Amino acid sequence: MDFNYISGILTLAGINLMAVLGLSLLTGFTGMFSFGHAGFMAIGGYTSAMMTVKFGLPFIPALLIGGLAAALVSSVIGKLTLNLKGDYFCIATLGFGEAIRLILDNVQYFGGARGWPGIPHHTSLLNVIIINIVAIIVLANIVRSKHGRNMIAVREEELASQIVGINVFKYKLISLMISAAYAGIAGGLMAHYMTFLQPKMFSLVKSTELTIIVIFGGLGSISGSVLGALVLTSLPEILRTFSEWRLVIYGLSVVIIMITRPSGLMGGYEFTPSSMKKLFTRIRNRKNGLPNHMEGGKTA
Amino acid sequence: MNILELKNLTKTFGGLTAVGNVDFEVPKDSISGLIGPNGAGKTTIFNLITGVYKVTDGKIIFKGQDITNMEPYKIADSGITRTFQNIRLFKKLTVYENVLTACHANADYNLFESVIRSPKCRKQEKELKEKADSLLDIMGLYDRKDLIANNLPYGLQRRLEIARALALNPELLLLDEPAAGMNPDETVQLMTLIADIRPKFNLSVLIIDHHMDLIMGICEKIMVLNFGCKLAEGTPQEIQNNPKVIEAYLGVEG
Amino acid sequence: MSQFLQQLINGLSIGSVYALMAVGYSLVYSIMNFSNFAHGGVIMLGAYFGYFYLTAAGLPFPVAFIGAALTTCLLAVIIERGAYKPLRERKAPFLYFIISAMGTSIFLENIVIATIGPTFRTYPEILSRTPIQIGSVSVGRLDLTMFIISAICLALLVFFIDHTKMGKAIQATAYNIKASALMGINTDLVIIVVFALGGFFAGIAGVLFGMKYTVYPQIGIITNKSFIAAVFGGLGSLPGAVIGSILLGIIETITSGYFSSQYRDLIAFVLLIAVLIFRPRGLMGKVTEDKA
Repeated sequence: MDFNYISGILTLAGINLMAVLGLSLLTGFTGMFSFGHAGFMAIGGYTSAMMTVKFGLPFIPALLIGGLAAALVSSVIGKLTLNLKGDYFCIATLGFGEAIRLILDNVQYFGGARGWPGIPHHTSLLNVIIINIVAIIVLANIVRSKHGRNMIAVREEELASQIVGINVFKYKLISLMISAAYAGIAGGLMAHYMTFLQPKMFSLVKSTELTIIVIFGGLGSISGSVLGALVLTSLPEILRTFSEWRLVIYGLSVVIIMITRPSGLMGGYEFTPSSMKKLFTRIRNRKNGLPNHMEGGKTA
Repeated sequence: MNILELKNLTKTFGGLTAVGNVDFEVPKDSISGLIGPNGAGKTTIFNLITGVYKVTDGKIIFKGQDITNMEPYKIADSGITRTFQNIRLFKKLTVYENVLTACHANADYNLFESVIRSPKCRKQEKELKEKADSLLDIMGLYDRKDLIANNLPYGLQRRLEIARALALNPELLLLDEPAAGMNPDETVQLMTLIADIRPKFNLSVLIIDHHMDLIMGICEKIMVLNFGCKLAEGTPQEIQNNPKVIEAYLGVEG
Repeated sequence: MSQFLQQLINGLSIGSVYALMAVGYSLVYSIMNFSNFAHGGVIMLGAYFGYFYLTAAGLPFPVAFIGAALTTCLLAVIIERGAYKPLRERKAPFLYFIISAMGTSIFLENIVIATIGPTFRTYPEILSRTPIQIGSVSVGRLDLTMFIISAICLALLVFFIDHTKMGKAIQATAYNIKASALMGINTDLVIIVVFALGGFFAGIAGVLFGMKYTVYPQIGIITNKSFIAAVFGGLGSLPGAVIGSILLGIIETITSGYFSSQYRDLIAFVLLIAVLIFRPRGLMGKVTEDKA
């Protein structure tokens, strides 16, 4: 295995991770499931490609504009659909995701169904890593602020959140817009990595893949999403030699994960300094025969 | 001065009148009670006050302002909070997180400031944490703050729900069957708790319950509801001697 | 005008096949409150089974037809036992069911590609291609057959639901699964029956679809449109699923006929979105209210 091969897989994993991080905020922390996030990737991808190709903008601003476009579209969709009950919202996102793809199929300016080649190659492993690190820090800061706590409350108990003064609609909308922006940036990264865009890259299968990664990593865990993106992107690539059976195994694994450990890899826990400290305290307490939650050394 | 006034409050579900033409005032700083047989419409009234249900007719006036049909979160912000009959805590979060989340209204830093961890954000977060800690301390939950809410004993879960409600600095606290499932000992503890927090937090309290020792022991004014309509209102003494109430609750002697 | 009638008839015919597919979605949704996305894969396999029973096994058409339907019936029950029952037992949120369904759908589509290969298969000609003349419109024999078979199946289904004991059990379970269980209805058996029914019709729909178009592994995705029809008609309502499907079939054919076939798929999703925004419960769906 040479470096280029590994670097390629990691770059793809990083691109997926960007979208997964956004989706994690919406699904893992705010409790709303979307089967249309590939649509936001598409919007970001095509918009950012338009910026670099047709307007000659530099890479990073183009990416940000792509993310912004996706966020704007998501705000329209959100205003229309966030009042729907859980599974109807889900279906609506599916509808919008597919509609976006089908519309792009028919827009000849962007190459239509045949695709749009010749997009400049700007994405590298280095900038994917840097962008992801920034994205993770932003996400982590949101999650541990009061805004993040409000989103988690919405996920846990919507009615109680209202009663506690949380504007549930506003937080769902913010969560949706940020997740769309992340997906849009991921789409832009994808466009400038593949140097080619085609609507069918952003189909329901892709949206489902993103949701599966979030669940696999564990809802409500950023580190879970990172692990999930790495594992679930590299594994199929490594299995590419068994190419036809790769998706068979993938489909089967999804079902098995759902049946056996739906709480995912991390089960909602995070790799943070304080959680590591707590983990060591528990292990030490168990060795000394103390109850788990006690600080080391103190007695009742 | 009345902190809450219900004027001709009515709620119908299709053909069913759950609440019919109810007039009631909750005096400021008082502890009032709302009692009645099951299905009388008590929780419906709470749901109407807090905006969970839309009013069919009538008005709800809070601190002189018409809050009828306002959004639930706005009503909470303006000073009315509640607990639920079937405890609606954030069950998978810890005790601490339950209260800390509810403290959010005491901070106003925006999303951008949270991303860059601005000085304002950090200062306000610290204040929120101090407030959560102090609330937990007052309510006697501090040493269990890291337990998952769902694992608390039942009585403490109810107490946590009250603590969470208090985090919003309410002026009116609605308690929906706070003593449900409690034994006489726990009920006395609850009475003491409510009597304690009223002056400490400057509250007016409206309680729904079926435990007559709680209601008669602690409420200054009581309204009796039956089939959605007001049957009687008055002091505990007056209610206990009211023949219509006795008939509704105990039946008429043959 | 006759062109319009022509389109109408085409729409009716494809709509009736959508209806066979959509009732499967609706039945499962009415009982279990989730959208069974694996249904498309079962339909696709129905098309394949029919094809192989006909060609490789050389069975006469009616036998192959029923055989395919019985096979998919069994398959649907196996999927329920394997991919959904464990989730039901641990009372998983409906989202996990959807993910499991999607995993199953990916599995089914790709196991066909991996084993048999993705080449398109064409059904041998069963019916003559000469159309029948009814007044000023000519109706393809296949279209007419599709319509008649679907109509018969749907009529049988309605009879089953309304007039048999199991049918009433299904209605009760759809209304309230917990109460039905408490009343002594074997809800597990009801669920098996519902999946079996859906699977049986999926097989029939698959064969008909395969006969009209061609057989390929991605049929499952096309048939997601019948899911849209079910939403349009109102998830959980059988008559709604039928009406929604017929309407969808007609709208699709008219769009494809008068505008361009490229917009045909798009119009289905636009319809879905419009329904969800303006009338989420569809034409005839059940309304559920949350009690605080």
